[in-house]
Amino acid sequence: MYGGDEVAAIVIDVGSYSCKAGYAGDDTPKAVFPSVVGSIEQTGDADESKAEKEPEDSKNGAKPMDVDKAKTKRKLYVGQELDFRRDNMEVISPMKDGTVTDWDIVDNIWNHAFRRRLLINPEEHPMLIAEPSTNTAQQREKAAELMFENYKVPALFLAKNAVLTSFASGRATSLVVDSGGGSTVVSAVHDGFVLQKIRPRYSFKKKEISPGEYKIVDLDLPNTTESYKLYCMRAIVSDIKESVCRVPDTAFDEVAYANVPTTSYELPDGQTIEVGADRFKIPDILFNPSLSQTIPGIDGFADSISVRGLPRMVIDSINRCDVDIRKELFSNILVNALIPVLHFAPLHLSGGSSSILQLKERLEKEVLEESPQAARVKVMASGNSVERRFSVWIGGSILASLGSFQQMWFSKAEYEEHGVSYIQRKCP
Amino acid sequence: MEAVVVDAGSKLLKAGIAAPDQAPALVMPSKMKLEVEDQQLADGAVVEEVVHPVVRGFVKDWDAMEDLLNYVLYRNIGWEIGDEGQILFTEPLFTPKALREQLVQLMFEKFNVSGFYDSEQAVLSLYAVGRISGCTVDIGHGKIDIAPVCEGAVQHVASKRLEIGGVDLTNLFAQELKRSNPSVNIDPSDVERLKEQYACCAEDQLAFEALENSCQPERHTLPDGQVITIEKERYIVGEALFQPRILGLEDYGIVHQLVTSVSNVSSEYHRQLLENTMLCGGTISMTGFEDRFQGEANLSASAIRPTLVKPPEYMPENLAKHSAWLGGAILAKVVFPQNQHVTKGEYDETGPSIVHKKCF
Repeated sequence: MYGGDEVAAIVIDVGSYSCKAGYAGDDTPKAVFPSVVGSIEQTGDADESKAEKEPEDSKNGAKPMDVDKAKTKRKLYVGQELDFRRDNMEVISPMKDGTVTDWDIVDNIWNHAFRRRLLINPEEHPMLIAEPSTNTAQQREKAAELMFENYKVPALFLAKNAVLTSFASGRATSLVVDSGGGSTVVSAVHDGFVLQKIRPRYSFKKKEISPGEYKIVDLDLPNTTESYKLYCMRAIVSDIKESVCRVPDTAFDEVAYANVPTTSYELPDGQTIEVGADRFKIPDILFNPSLSQTIPGIDGFADSISVRGLPRMVIDSINRCDVDIRKELFSNILVNALIPVLHFAPLHLSGGSSSILQLKERLEKEVLEESPQAARVKVMASGNSVERRFSVWIGGSILASLGSFQQMWFSKAEYEEHGVSYIQRKCP
Repeated sequence: MEAVVVDAGSKLLKAGIAAPDQAPALVMPSKMKLEVEDQQLADGAVVEEVVHPVVRGFVKDWDAMEDLLNYVLYRNIGWEIGDEGQILFTEPLFTPKALREQLVQLMFEKFNVSGFYDSEQAVLSLYAVGRISGCTVDIGHGKIDIAPVCEGAVQHVASKRLEIGGVDLTNLFAQELKRSNPSVNIDPSDVERLKEQYACCAEDQLAFEALENSCQPERHTLPDGQVITIEKERYIVGEALFQPRILGLEDYGIVHQLVTSVSNVSSEYHRQLLENTMLCGGTISMTGFEDRFQGEANLSASAIRPTLVKPPEYMPENLAKHSAWLGGAILAKVVFPQNQHVTKGEYDETGPSIVHKKCF
């Protein structure tokens, strides 16, 4: 039991694209930065690496990571340090398909969020961490262990993304379509609990083809790694996707859209590019995955046959639930259309359903077609783009500031008494 | 009774009764000397330490801060114990919640003020020029804050804070002078004054590079009689803001940071933000800084060029140096009469966390 006095809880959500951190009770996170890090391999001894800077100008002083002797040491750059181009800096993501694979990097990201961005001492604040709905028991234990041992937090709670999104929209029961993180996860949330068995999930890898081609003028900057270039390119492309793409009202048809007028988009350096039919085609892949075969350059997904469109996934998950709650789920479909997600596998780009324009209407229409007669289908996607980007975080902020939540924290005392596996009981 | 506005910076503390069209009555250094009582040197002199209560914009030493405020409020402003008035504080970006709570606690418990409010410096600087939306670039002694403000609300997600400021420039200047005048021993406090007198900005990067080769030397006599020559060092100080590499920081210059920061706000606000860019803070009084800033802004890749805001005529001359204080004075006139501040009763009832609910 954790008392929960005036000290504010911290809510932290490390997604595949960006990390959001801030105080509970606020309406937006104070710290938002990319959840990928730049890393420069360092061979040789520690004194060869750049000297540790004073805490004063620690804005840039990334600590050299002392990994165990087997690996080479590497220097990690987190947050806005990533913006600055450095020689030989690789961009790596700690996540794969929405789950954490490299805890070292996550540790660095958390450290950056607490010590450099929020300027807090983690020992004084209870932490609410948002985790993917498909998290394994092992991952949760690892997260809890890291938090209690390294950061010595007084209390912890792990909440599932789907539940938090649901809270952010003010509902305790809904079907959350969470598109991002290299995968689309449809989870049914009922009274604040994720119904475990209904989570069809598959990797959605999309490659965004910009019709103007990537005219990346290779500046004379040798030693820039491929992954960094790719990272910058994708950042721009995802912005294009966010602003320009629209979901077509009906299934995409090559012929019909051949003559659609193009929209222009201004790149950061001032050049403009024209985007034509592709802006309709790409979002339609969400509904019709076989379209991806027609786009040159994409390696089709391994399991493209079993991959179904979004409406099908929705119907399937609802059908796997209890008959009683199906009706409620149908009328509370939440589309957590996140910020575009960039997947850092070498060849594929996965895009999130950031093309909010028309996504809601189209999904509603398709689900209505395939759903049983009596169901009333309602799809909700929040209109405000800030809310959309941070809906998981906002849900966390709401949850952590509820009075009735304060007794649910997993406190340090309980951790020491029962061990890390107790978390499975405390955080369902 | 009039409210008091206090802007505690890393170098200067500005305080005064809230009178919006006048400069703050009291501008004093926030550096303090601590006399350590129980240590005595052999010749009976008392050991003194220099203490900075405010470091990099944040209050670090609360005892020193308390003494400082004691001096300011009771001896200078003229408050009397038992009859304290209302006070408005300014704070930099990203102030941790714990710090704000500590300040409120200090004010109500030690000083027994009747009303309290605090606000972020970025917003206040904009109020001083009569705007509620715009971008502030606050180049202070301890830090640089770049904050886009939309309708009075700072966009925290897009704001940036750089841990460089006047103090780093002073150190840089000292270093450079040492290098070119190796025989002369310059006192660190003198360097500060030298910097204020001599530092300037080249017109653009090319001009700076040209100066590397040929520059007008200036001779300056230090208070203790030694003579030093200052050549291109004065330009390096200004250049460091636009090329932080000189300070050893791997980062982009301020104009680039400003543009990146604004691009993180949703695009409907971009025009409004960039066209209302406000420079404030002590460092901008450097010769040639504004022109250089405008020059770099014109070269920037963004479609909308950052344009600097013109301060209104009825405001005092050195607006930029005290803009946060002036904005605070304006805000004080609005907040306190309308009872939007934290009163003693509310504090007693809810505790320090009330500051988060009442003061944005």
